[in-house]
Amino acid sequence: MSHSHADTIPVRVVAVEQVTPQIKHFIFAPTGGGELPAFSGGSHIIVVMRGAQRVFRNPYSLMSSPNELDTYQISVLRVDPSRGGSAFMHEQVRVGSELEIAHPVNLFALAKLARKHLLLAGGIGITPFMAQLHDLRLTDVPYEIHYATRSPEHGAYCELIAQAEPQRARLYHDSAAKFIDIEGLLSHQPLGTHVYVCGPAGMITRVLETARALGWPDSHVHYEKFSAPPTGAAFDAYLDKSGIALHVLPDQSLLEAIEAAGVDAPYLCRGGVCGFCRTDVVAVDGELIHNDHYLSDEEKASGKAIMPCVSRARCSKLVLSL
Amino acid sequence: MLITGIRSKPVYAPLQPDLLGRYHVMVGHGVGATPLSRLLSDMRQAEPKALACTRVWYVAAAAANGATNAFRAAGIAELRTFGEVDALLADLTAAMRAALMGTRLYVAGPESFMGLVMRIAHDFNLNRDEVRAEECGTLARRVHCIHCHSTIENVRTNIVECGCKRWLVVRDHYSRRLAAYMGVMVDAEAPGERPQIKEVFL
Repeated sequence: MSHSHADTIPVRVVAVEQVTPQIKHFIFAPTGGGELPAFSGGSHIIVVMRGAQRVFRNPYSLMSSPNELDTYQISVLRVDPSRGGSAFMHEQVRVGSELEIAHPVNLFALAKLARKHLLLAGGIGITPFMAQLHDLRLTDVPYEIHYATRSPEHGAYCELIAQAEPQRARLYHDSAAKFIDIEGLLSHQPLGTHVYVCGPAGMITRVLETARALGWPDSHVHYEKFSAPPTGAAFDAYLDKSGIALHVLPDQSLLEAIEAAGVDAPYLCRGGVCGFCRTDVVAVDGELIHNDHYLSDEEKASGKAIMPCVSRARCSKLVLSL
Repeated sequence: MLITGIRSKPVYAPLQPDLLGRYHVMVGHGVGATPLSRLLSDMRQAEPKALACTRVWYVAAAAANGATNAFRAAGIAELRTFGEVDALLADLTAAMRAALMGTRLYVAGPESFMGLVMRIAHDFNLNRDEVRAEECGTLARRVHCIHCHSTIENVRTNIVECGCKRWLVVRDHYSRRLAAYMGVMVDAEAPGERPQIKEVFL
């Protein structure tokens, strides 16, 4: 990574639209004019939100075309109850607001050598695919997109997708008792197909389990899960190298507490998948609560490392090598 | 010489059944029969039902006559034998086109045969977690002449004459795309000055 986290990009909000009862769509333009950094479909940015009490850094998929860099577009689902980030975006951010974003990072890239792409979206999970569809239209590799929402009025981009991809999109609504037939789809895909899933945790788990049961190798299965860091009891932590003591609040992540103490700790996904924030544990007088999908079971059991973006501890004092 | 110290030579490992797969395609050539027989027997031990979803395609060599009987006795879904590698490769390409996700490919035989099969696997975007290959038999190389772009089969020597009349040194530089080692003119700078020819790939 060539950019440090201090190296954020100032942007101005140029449009806000309420697209469903719970989803708002935002368009950002660079404050200083010019173009934003290039990205590929599936990339996310971190939006830095300076709330009254705390700073939130939430990841959002870029949904605009990678070919248009005058602006970036994201969609934000209002989570209820919100820890603060999505409520901030929905309540505080309006046209003209100035925000900082981090450079795009792609942890959900299309496989370049795939012979077919099968995209499975649930709800707000449609957003990374909207950017990928721009990339896919430029190739001659076959693809399909299956997009499930609670109901037509909760389906933020149903019409857009149906119009843009009349041959290749299928829409499903829970309200009409139409669900994606995951097993049916995954059992008849030609060799060289890659499946991508982004949506609620239950949908991702079902796709991963079904794919595995049908003999799909891991290298052909891609998923992206954006979930708020799990909450828990408050605890104290001590950063051994910097000599800083800090307190982690019940609804604050360990990473957020470290950042609030002024330490520029490494991170990329803030969702427990990329492994970038892995930190060595020096000592803990209790138990680590691992919520990530990165460390192996053995590493988790060893208690020697933690992913501060999503994991916490049930203890009175956690000492980190930071 | 340009031969050693290049790490592009593929590394293969002994075949093991991958029971996470749903369909199993095993291809072999000549002495590749031995690892395939062992693989089938391991599969019978671990999960006999998988044999009903297993196909074995084999290019017979004179030395391996008993092999096909052993395959037939294993209770697999299909056994096909071929007289020529090219015939197997052509049918394998067609089979891969019709195959579904969940397929595992196993390859056993001399390196040059494996290279050709691996190239097809790559064309179908089969990754390392879908293909297993075990090298056995001759180390004779397929050599790609970087000057005239023709391929020389079964090269056993360090220096070989190409159809284009150039003498080539056989490098360890292996191309998965071409399924061949690179052959580079050995006496380009001093015409006629060639090292002694030795049999090295046996």
